Amino acid sequence: MPAEFAIETEHLRKVFRNRWTGREVCAVDDLSLRVRRGTTFGLLGPNGAGKTTFVKMLLSACHPTAGVARVYGQDTRHPASRKPIGYLPENHRFPTYFTGAGMLDFYAALSGMDGAARRRLIPELFDRVGLDRKWMDVRIGKYSKGMLQRVGLAQALIHSPDLLILDEPTDGVDPVGRRHIRDVLQKLEGNGVTVLLNSHLLEEVELFCRDVAIVNKGRIVLQGEVAQLTAGKGYQIKTNSMNGHREIHLPTREAANVEIDRLRREGIEIESLQPVASRLEDVFIEAVGGKK
Amino acid sequence: MITAALIVDTFREALARKIFWGLFALSLLMILFFLFVMRIDVVEGATATISLFGQTADKTNVGVDKLVPQIHGAIAAFLYSFGMFLAIFASAGLIPSVLEPGRIELVLSKPVSRAHLLAGRFLGNLLVVGINLTLLVTGIWLIFGWKTGFWNVPFLLTIPLTLFIFAVMLTVVALVGVLWESTALSVMVPVFLMILSPVLAQDKVVRKLLDSEWSRDLWHALYYALPKVFDTGRIILQVVTGKGAGMGAFEWWPIWTSAAFAIVVYGTAQWVFSRRDF
Repeated sequence: MPAEFAIETEHLRKVFRNRWTGREVCAVDDLSLRVRRGTTFGLLGPNGAGKTTFVKMLLSACHPTAGVARVYGQDTRHPASRKPIGYLPENHRFPTYFTGAGMLDFYAALSGMDGAARRRLIPELFDRVGLDRKWMDVRIGKYSKGMLQRVGLAQALIHSPDLLILDEPTDGVDPVGRRHIRDVLQKLEGNGVTVLLNSHLLEEVELFCRDVAIVNKGRIVLQGEVAQLTAGKGYQIKTNSMNGHREIHLPTREAANVEIDRLRREGIEIESLQPVASRLEDVFIEAVGGKK
Repeated sequence: MITAALIVDTFREALARKIFWGLFALSLLMILFFLFVMRIDVVEGATATISLFGQTADKTNVGVDKLVPQIHGAIAAFLYSFGMFLAIFASAGLIPSVLEPGRIELVLSKPVSRAHLLAGRFLGNLLVVGINLTLLVTGIWLIFGWKTGFWNVPFLLTIPLTLFIFAVMLTVVALVGVLWESTALSVMVPVFLMILSPVLAQDKVVRKLLDSEWSRDLWHALYYALPKVFDTGRIILQVVTGKGAGMGAFEWWPIWTSAAFAIVVYGTAQWVFSRRDF
C-alpha cells in the first residue's frame, strides 16, 4: 500500500554540540510534520529557524538526535528513501569541471538512471528549464547564477522524482526566469509530484504553494492551507453616498449580508464588496512573533 | 553503475585539476629519458658501454642480468620515495573537495550510501595514480628489455607494491579528509608518517638507546602499528634487484602490518564519515 504522506516526521529533534566547548544548540525541536502526496508545500521561517537542518535530515545529510523522518513511508536513514527525491540546495557549489550535460549525467547516474535514458533526457531537460542546448557542452564555471539555478533544477528533475525539495530555487534568477521556473513547477504539481519549497520569498510561496508550515526556533508555529491562513479576515464594503465614500469592515459573511440589506434599504449605493485576505507576510510575521 | 560514476567523477576532477596530466607528463618525460638519452650497448650479454647525454662511462663488462636489476632498483627506489610524495601532494585534495559545503549535500541527496561514496572517491584516486605508475614502470621495463634483451620481470612488481603503500597512505588522506576537510592536513599527515617510517624502522638500534622500559615499548608499538613505508621500500628493492632466494625468502610482515593499519584507518574513516553531519 503506498504511503499516504510524501514526508512524515515524528518528534524530530536535532541538537548540535560543539566538540570542544560542549555547548549545545537545538536547531530542530520536536518537529512533527506531514506533507500530503502531490501537494505544493512551503516551508517558511526566519533565518536560523531550523528549516535547512530539517531538509538536511530528510536527505540524511544530517542525522536526527531524536525522532523519525520518513519519505514515502521509508526511513530516511536508508539510502533507498532518497530514490524518489530531487533536490536543489540553496548555496550549491556544482563542480566547475563539469559541463552542463556532464553534470546532469553524473547526478542522474547517482540516481540510478541508465546511460541510454540519461543521453535521451539531458537535452530535453535543457529545453524544459529554458536553457539553450548550446550550453550543454560548456563548463558550468562559465554559467551565470540564473543559469546555474536552471541547470540545478534540471539535475533535480532528471530522474522524474516524486518529491522535489527546492531551497530558494529562484535565487539569482531574473523575473522572466522566475516565471518560467514557476511554470515548470506548476506542471509538476499537475503530474502529482510533491514539491517542498524552502524560500524566503513569501510572495513566491503564496503564489505557488497550496500548504505551508511556518517554523520558528526549531518548532512549527503555524501550519495549514495558504488559502485558509490568508483568508478569514472578513469583508469590506465600500459605499458611495452624499456624505462621501465609506469603508465598512465586517467579520463574517452573515454580517456582511445584513449590512448590505441595511445599506440597500437606506438607499446607499454600494461601490464594491470584497473579502479581506491578509497577505502571507502578515501571517508569517504574526506567527513568528514579529511586529506588524 | 554508481561506483563507475563515482570513479569517473574523481578521474574527471583529477583531469580538470591537471593532476592526472601533471603525473602523466612526468611519467612520459622519464620514459623519453630512458628511451632517447640513455644508451646501453650490449656485447655478448655484457654491457660494452653505457652513455648518458653522450657521455660514455668506462667499460665495465658487467652482465646485463646484474646491471639491469640494479638500475631498475634505483628507479624503483626513486619512484617509491619521490613519486609517492608527488602522488600524495597531487591527489590529497580529491577526497576533501567532495565534502565541501554545497557539494556534499547534493551528492548525499542521491540514493547512494556514504560508504559507497567514500569508496568510489578512494578507488578513483587510486586509479589516477595507478594508471600513471603502470604506464611509467611498464614503459621503462619495455625500454630496458628492448635495449638490453634482458626482461627483468620482478621490476613490474614495483607497480602493485608501490600502489599498495600509496593505498595505505590514501586511507590516512581519507581519514584526515573526513575529519577536518583540509587538503593541507591531508598532505601533512601522510607525509609525516612517511618521514617517520625510516626513523621508526631503526627499532633495534633506538631501543638500545632508550633508558626506560615504557619508552622502548612505546617506540616498538609505534613501529609495529604505523605503516612500514621504509621496510616495504626495502622489500621492493630486494624483489627488483633479485637480492633474495625467491619470493618466499622475503619478510612480508611489513606488508601485512601496513595492510592491517590501512584496514583500521579506512574503517575509522568510513565510521567517521557515516556519523558526520553536513
